[in-house]
Amino acid sequence: MTRVSLKIVGAQGQGVNSVGEMCAKGLKRSGYCVFGYREYMSLIKGGHSSYQLDVSGEDVRSSAMHVDIVVTFNHHGIEKNLRDLRKGGILLHQTPQWKFKNADDQAFIKEQGIRVIELPTDAILKKLKAKSILGNVLITAVVWSLLGQPEEQLHELVREQFGHKKDLLDLNFACIAEGFAACKVIAPGTTLSLPRPDPKWKNHMLLTGSQAMGLGIIHAGCRVYAGYPMTPSSPLLTFIADMQNETGMAVKQAEDEITAAQMMVGAMHMGTRAVTATSGGGFDLMTETLSLTGITETPAVFILAQRPGPGTALPTWTAQGDLLLAVGAGHGEFARLVMAVSDAQDCFDLMPEAFNFAEEFQIPVIVLTDKQTAEALFTQPAFDQTRAKLKRGSLVTDPRELSQLKSIDRYDPAAPDGVSKRWLPGSEAATFCAQGDEHGPDGSVIEDAENARRQMEKRLKKMAALKAALPEPLYVGPKNPETLIVSWGSNRGIILDVLESEPLAKRSIGYLHYQYLWPLKTESFEMLSRTAKRTIFVECNHGGQLSSLLKLASGRDVTQKILKFDGRPFFYEELRDGLLSAPQS
Amino acid sequence: MMKSDASAGPPSPLDSARSYGRAGSSMQDFASQNPCTWCDGCGDYGIWTAARSALVDLHIWPWQVLLCYDVGCHGNMSDKIGGYRFHGLHGRVLPLAAGAALANPTIPVIAFGGDGASFSEGVGHLVHAVRSNYRFTFVMHNNANYGLTTGQASALTWQDQKMNSSPNGIPETTLNSMDFIFSLQPTFVARGWSGDIAQMSKILQAAIRHRGFAYVDMLQACPTYNKFATHEWLMQHCYDAATEGHDPKNFEKARALAVDTQNRVATGILYQTEDVPAFHERLKPREGVTTTSVQEVKIVDTSRWLKAFE
Repeated sequence: MTRVSLKIVGAQGQGVNSVGEMCAKGLKRSGYCVFGYREYMSLIKGGHSSYQLDVSGEDVRSSAMHVDIVVTFNHHGIEKNLRDLRKGGILLHQTPQWKFKNADDQAFIKEQGIRVIELPTDAILKKLKAKSILGNVLITAVVWSLLGQPEEQLHELVREQFGHKKDLLDLNFACIAEGFAACKVIAPGTTLSLPRPDPKWKNHMLLTGSQAMGLGIIHAGCRVYAGYPMTPSSPLLTFIADMQNETGMAVKQAEDEITAAQMMVGAMHMGTRAVTATSGGGFDLMTETLSLTGITETPAVFILAQRPGPGTALPTWTAQGDLLLAVGAGHGEFARLVMAVSDAQDCFDLMPEAFNFAEEFQIPVIVLTDKQTAEALFTQPAFDQTRAKLKRGSLVTDPRELSQLKSIDRYDPAAPDGVSKRWLPGSEAATFCAQGDEHGPDGSVIEDAENARRQMEKRLKKMAALKAALPEPLYVGPKNPETLIVSWGSNRGIILDVLESEPLAKRSIGYLHYQYLWPLKTESFEMLSRTAKRTIFVECNHGGQLSSLLKLASGRDVTQKILKFDGRPFFYEELRDGLLSAPQS
Repeated sequence: MMKSDASAGPPSPLDSARSYGRAGSSMQDFASQNPCTWCDGCGDYGIWTAARSALVDLHIWPWQVLLCYDVGCHGNMSDKIGGYRFHGLHGRVLPLAAGAALANPTIPVIAFGGDGASFSEGVGHLVHAVRSNYRFTFVMHNNANYGLTTGQASALTWQDQKMNSSPNGIPETTLNSMDFIFSLQPTFVARGWSGDIAQMSKILQAAIRHRGFAYVDMLQACPTYNKFATHEWLMQHCYDAATEGHDPKNFEKARALAVDTQNRVATGILYQTEDVPAFHERLKPREGVTTTSVQEVKIVDTSRWLKAFE
């Protein structure tokens, strides 16, 4: 796969995101697959941020470490991001009379053949009597010209945004014209050629994992959302809230995460579908509620958007350090499902599954995502609306069946697979108590030993049935690979990209990807790993948490791991080289 | 999601009860086979009786109500009464009930909690339940101590009382719970006491009918651990404010009456306004919607929203 990588950098609030989004949209419409990756700091104004776009005519699901062009809004980016450029790369800046003082920088530019281009943004905007915000359109136009893309495409984009304001639209058009003209002057003969486009991308969507997850939640029939802001779960809250007038969903920004979790549980108990989302620290606060749903057997869906910990750590960066937290959170022993999304497709497809499993097994479901999936920009075909089915398990709503229910049916320890009948407040039937204390079949508090043993067994029996109902992890590769890669979550995209690269594409490598993480299916893993010469876990955490879980579940101890825990996702060259240099046995 | 013209208004918690054709429910319908485990003379007996009586008087059947319990002595009511019930976590009954009430505003929801849970562990929820004005009733079992954990001081325990874990009395200041509640602009505040079942029942009926969040302070005797506000003390000090012409529409007078418990304790409905819409009525996307979110669970086709991402 041939890719071109663009990186837009600057202070937060300078327009990094809007230029990134405009370029992404334009390129997608020109027939390119785009993968967007954002880096920013935990502050509102001033911190150094970036928006990287990796562009290809083929599928691209990852970010390169080195880029073809750095576009910088301020002079910090000139020095900070110079070394992000690959050989022959372009540095487009807007700082008048900039001179590199550092000898190392000068040598780097010379050796690598970096082309440094200055755009006189202030002078052009002054001439046009345009506000500084229009610098975003101006610099996008220069990039467009360098990429050899047509002016009309930018016209279309700004028309969509400002079409209702003619004055502003004319000024935007003027900026585009100036940008194309300036490019000929400041960068004569300089071009950045894009790979061959493929028209199939034109009808794709460009959206973040959070937006896809929001659509998945809506698709699943969820009608109540309770949340508390915490990066990187906040963009989901924002999206769901912005959609509420369209969807009619009841959205509550709660006073804390405990409230958000309790409201979700209360709404689920009443019989609707509800969800809450948070990150590690907020999830810690929700864990007592998680445990409660274990004993009351209330369906519940928690979204845990991971970022690095412990403590506040790196609030706006990515990690996969909360897998063991999700598996072990909450006091006592109870049945649960832990699953993880990896991209926009998963975010949409797996949300109905999360609600279905929660209702079918009357258990809490924890859906793991991370900052990388939540905020990356994916090129995605329109979502299939026909695949998901509404599955509510043993929920009783039929009046005849309701009239025959007894209170003791609710927590009947003899129920098959431990899944007893569930019915809703307001149903004309015998009533019961959803009981947080150990209880008998009708929810009455009983402390005797025999009952405690039977109810514990009833609840935990679900794990076997749940495990049997889960699909095997996804596998791509040859039947008996020499090398088996095992991973989960957002690593999927980059692993697939890297495996298509030379010389890895020629090697016998298989990739086993886990969407469902607890209970763990181990059959495929054991079969593939037993015959493979080596098994390598790729994870964004310090301990290799999935490898620990698989060791626990399968008894197989696989020691090779490629781990990253600095808040950044794996980059293309980095993971490719890591796999190439992995020990051969 | 079904929309009707806005004038129809939101569904009322009592709609299902009214539309029910048969004769009303009876105390027997709310009976439980489980024996009560409260101490002799515990105020919970009175509150338990008043709750059942209020539901019967409102012609509500057990299947038409959700009773939510916090953890504490009062929470042991959860399996001594009919009705759909949820016995949750300590300090968290308010958000649990709020979520339930939001999901289905046609079912009356009553939350029961103690002064320990409400003014310490879960005090943040109380603040936001009042300001959110969720439509449900909160019965605050106020025995001024943590009974079930054997008599520790709560934020409402009086000064200079020797309690379990506070042998010298509490070093903190006692919280004036009514002053606190009134500072939050409540829409319904009432006070009853565990010896007057008839009055408690009347208060609860009004609370269940209330448009938004109904805060009911139930002063209750705790013969085992509360040696200061005893049943006798409550009997001597409590009086029905209505008998002295109190107007529950007057916020300032209600607040003064509620806060001042030096010589006498005013009971009854102290303050009520129905001019403030409940939380679910203030949600723009729910305006004119005649279905509840419980009825709206289905796979939703999201195609119409995908164009925006192209």
